[in-house]
Amino acid sequence: MIAELLALVPVQRAGFGLLLGAVALPPVGVLIVGLDIYPVRFAIMHVALLGSAIGLLTGTDPLLWALVLCALAGGGLAPFATTSAGLSGAMGLLMSLAIAVALLVLSISGVNANGAFELLWGSILSTRPADLVVLGVLAVVIPALFWWRRRDLSLLLHDRELAACSGVRTGPLTAALLVVIAVSIAGAIKLTGALLVDALTLLPALAARRIGRGLTGMVVASIGIGLVVAVAGLLLALALDQPPGPVLVLLAGVIALLAQLLPMRRT
Amino acid sequence: MTALSLLLEGVHCRYGRHSAVHSADLDVPAGLRVALIGTNGSGKSTLLRAVLGFQPVSDGVVEVGGERAATAAQWRKRRGEVAWIPQLRSTGRFPLLLGELLDSSGDGEAAREAAARLGLAGMESRGVHTLSGGQAQRAWLARAVGAVAAGAGMLLADEPTAALDFAGQEEAAAVLTGLPVTLLVATHDRAVADACDRVVEMAAGRLRDVA
Repeated sequence: MIAELLALVPVQRAGFGLLLGAVALPPVGVLIVGLDIYPVRFAIMHVALLGSAIGLLTGTDPLLWALVLCALAGGGLAPFATTSAGLSGAMGLLMSLAIAVALLVLSISGVNANGAFELLWGSILSTRPADLVVLGVLAVVIPALFWWRRRDLSLLLHDRELAACSGVRTGPLTAALLVVIAVSIAGAIKLTGALLVDALTLLPALAARRIGRGLTGMVVASIGIGLVVAVAGLLLALALDQPPGPVLVLLAGVIALLAQLLPMRRT
Repeated sequence: MTALSLLLEGVHCRYGRHSAVHSADLDVPAGLRVALIGTNGSGKSTLLRAVLGFQPVSDGVVEVGGERAATAAQWRKRRGEVAWIPQLRSTGRFPLLLGELLDSSGDGEAAREAAARLGLAGMESRGVHTLSGGQAQRAWLARAVGAVAAGAGMLLADEPTAALDFAGQEEAAAVLTGLPVTLLVATHDRAVADACDRVVEMAAGRLRDVA
């Protein structure tokens, strides 16, 4: 039965999207863990919802609006990133404002809000070629960014002041990271839904934190775990005839839990 | 790089409504070694951080080598000219290897040689968070040696021997005061203060010479 399902184009697209997501998104989770900005996912989800609402209002691509607004939101958060408390407050404000404006836009436009709120649940089997293009770009750009700036990222994620004393341009780099995080979350929402976006971002990163050695080791480990989750999760969902999103999250969660049982590496 | 002078004139630093540094004046000629003593909470760390731009200065002048810093580029230049040993703290949010910390000095080879001399040989692949407090302070001291080798003309050190044993304190004092730079070191360590040319006390946010 699984072989028959895998022959279907929507399933192939979903699988391909998951593989691309498994390369692109776990390193984003490493950034979220490193910057200690766990609430950023919720803030960005609400901004993506606003983008979707604007897309419905204007009759244009909701994903495009979500990506653009999330990129702007990520960049807008950067000035608050000098302190963890400042960023948390800004994310809370952003989340509230975004959902308020989204609800107003939906009300004013008179469109059916269900379309916008589908983002919350995701629709992996309706993955479009455009979604794959977005994920493909992220799958190339994000690992490349990590490799290119690995020294600066290691220092920045460890200690902002150490990075500043080591010649790292902490402000622009932080802004770039927040934009990457925001755009990646927006791009990932299609796969697992906003509520389950952690499956391919945070959970592999949390598991990798127990396994990897230094930043590079953690990124590599997180991608490996992401690939395992994506392949095994999709096959399991097809075999059980259940929605892939929850299965992916449960599988990633089990791996993250098992990783906590491992002794912490000395490095 | 040659040693750099430090000039503080009427420097004020605040945390909200609390004044941590109050009208601090200090003129340190290039190459002089100054110990900054004072009770906990007297404003020593705040003053050092202000020189590096990590603590906003609400009023007054801070010059290093006769230059002020205002723009991002000027602050970046200053942080390249001034080596920094922060107060010992829980080390970072994210794993960093000792080798990466040493390499961040700008002259990884000099920093690694200093680390080996300070008893950290073969530990480069260990995470900084796995080091003991004393080892971490030796690591930062080695990083400062690397930064000076890379061209820094001043060293600011915030209680760099607080976690060291007696022998380690004397060894660290010798390394600190032996570097060919201007030194401003906040300390409660008699060995470090005795090795400096001048001792300045900070009390309730104000500076005064004591030796």
